Amino acid sequence: MSAEPIAPALEPASTEEVPQFETPSVTPPVEWRLPVSRTQLLGLAGLGLIALLPLLVQASGGSIFWFYAGAYALIYAMIGLSVVVVTGYSGMISLMPYSFAGIGAMVTGLAMASWGWPFWLCVPLAALATVPVAVIVGAISVRLKGLYLAIATLAVAAMLGETFFSYTPVLGGNAGWTLSRPVPFIGDRSFYLLCLIAALLLVVMAEGLRTSKLGRAMLAVRDNEREAQALGINVMQTKMASFVIGGMMAGVGGAFLALLLQNVGGLGGTVFTSPQTDATSIALVTLVVLGGIDRAWGAFFGGLVFVLTNQVFQGAQFFFAFVGLYSAVLLIVFLMFRPGGLLQIGKLQIELIKERPMFGSIVAFGILGLNLGVAYAFLRLG
Amino acid sequence: MIATQPYLEVTVAGLAQGAVFGLLALGLVLIYRTTGVLNFGHWAIGLMGITVYIGLTSVGTPVLFAVLITMATCAVIGVLAYRFVFRHIPRSNQIIVILIAFGVAQLLSALAEMALGFKAQVTMPGWLPAFAVHFGGATLKSSDIFTFLFAIGLGLGFLVWFRVSRTGRALRAVAQNREAALLAGIDDVKYSSIAWAIGAALAAIAILLIIPHKATASGGTYQGYINTFDLTPLGVLLIPAFGAALVGGLVNMPAALAGGFAFGLAENLRVLAPVPWNKLTYTIPALMIVILLLVRTERLFTTQQEREALEGA
Repeated sequence: MSAEPIAPALEPASTEEVPQFETPSVTPPVEWRLPVSRTQLLGLAGLGLIALLPLLVQASGGSIFWFYAGAYALIYAMIGLSVVVVTGYSGMISLMPYSFAGIGAMVTGLAMASWGWPFWLCVPLAALATVPVAVIVGAISVRLKGLYLAIATLAVAAMLGETFFSYTPVLGGNAGWTLSRPVPFIGDRSFYLLCLIAALLLVVMAEGLRTSKLGRAMLAVRDNEREAQALGINVMQTKMASFVIGGMMAGVGGAFLALLLQNVGGLGGTVFTSPQTDATSIALVTLVVLGGIDRAWGAFFGGLVFVLTNQVFQGAQFFFAFVGLYSAVLLIVFLMFRPGGLLQIGKLQIELIKERPMFGSIVAFGILGLNLGVAYAFLRLG
Repeated sequence: MIATQPYLEVTVAGLAQGAVFGLLALGLVLIYRTTGVLNFGHWAIGLMGITVYIGLTSVGTPVLFAVLITMATCAVIGVLAYRFVFRHIPRSNQIIVILIAFGVAQLLSALAEMALGFKAQVTMPGWLPAFAVHFGGATLKSSDIFTFLFAIGLGLGFLVWFRVSRTGRALRAVAQNREAALLAGIDDVKYSSIAWAIGAALAAIAILLIIPHKATASGGTYQGYINTFDLTPLGVLLIPAFGAALVGGLVNMPAALAGGFAFGLAENLRVLAPVPWNKLTYTIPALMIVILLLVRTERLFTTQQEREALEGA
């Protein structure tokens, strides 16, 4: 009779087989991924469309004016990006983005026409010139919240518009400054390309800011100031930084605006006096909100619609009023039900199409058709 | 010796304008206290009033009757704005509330532009009696005197009514503690609608006191005009009105009425200042506003509990 081992578990062999954990691989399985997310890809596609649109229009017999209008829209988008940073990221309502752009434009005019600086140096100068005002407004924003800040920025904009922007003895005399564009970008078409590159750079910056440490601090401050403070975020610094960054972006937009219009300051050039500047700022803020306040796309939408209503359809008055009415209704309805703007609507629509392809597509085409139909009807009426 | 006539003229004009700012501020404060909405679209309600007034007078309605109908129409517009829009927005998110107020202003101004058409000058007749008033060597506008008396009467009458009447007390209850008012059986929506109606009617009468009496027509009567291409002159009336409301910390009505006079006088007395300074139409009120904001006048008029009720909830 052979002796059976009583306790096989004690055998040394079994101890060798103590549970072997699978060591986690340090490098995840290699899988090819795009360096950009799908949303960014969509945004880039949209940008490409905007970039190509004037080309298509011109190819189909349109005039060079479309490049001018396109550059205008891109510049307003740059100014709109400052709204995205200040209001979208940090949650502070500022009603003076166009005033910051005005500072940039005036400084560009002064430096180019009076001091003979090249444009490339004027752009950083225009950005830096907005910093003092941005710091003052930022300091105010630390103390005031919500609607109090809105009133304060409106008041500061009105003040600037009547003192700084109306002081013609410094701002180019009565005629204003006449500026000429830098050499390879003299025509409207090439200048449009320059604006496109600048706008793209600013978008990359704004999107990069969003994911950076500072940007996440801004989002935290927006969502709950006290919690952000409890987490160790310096609320004051964050608010200041967002006003300074927003002001600089608007200042760069202003520098390009000066060069697009080629005549700023004085009485004859582009002026930034009250109360028209305040009205422009408010219109810009509302349009950026309509597009989607917390992503760069909203700024592009805002710039596009603003230029469409104010430049392209300037003569068609009934249509102008109609666009005002239509966008007002959209703004109210969006803010009441979809505060994320067009961007949120688009995302919801894409999800709907994914879940129920047939129904979603019908809804999407229905919305599109309704909009086009209404626009067509009013064009015929007007 | 300094001549007194210009001072007298400017002071009377300032008092008249101040009374108008005071009425606008009363409406703003009433709406803000009761519903938590600072109405950035207040001027557009006044613009709708002007549109209705122009429409009525152009078909030959007697002017005083037209003014009454205009006030009633604006009250209805205010109620509609509350019922369909502002009632449904949580008041804790002030950014949304402000932007929606801009949206409502844009909606109303687009409607007014469509109704009036695009013209550089849409004229309207004045409705206050016009005659020359000579006092101590100064020539005063009769419309200024009437505006001042009318606005003071209306403002004080409203304040007394707000103090003593049952509706006024209910409005104050809703403003001070919404939930307790609800528990006491006060219909929140009904009284908020009343507040919007009164505020909108005050906006209409304030704008109708100032705009139709800007110029003198050939027959010695008053006449006013607006430019439908550029409505910003109406919009900027809100800047001193906000300032006046801020004197009362956006919550105190007598202080808001008094603040209106401060802003009206400041805006008119600057005309007598030496040359570069007398052109500062907006700078002085704007500076006053920033100072008032930083002083935080609402601390003087509200308890901590009330402030929290206004900002949150």
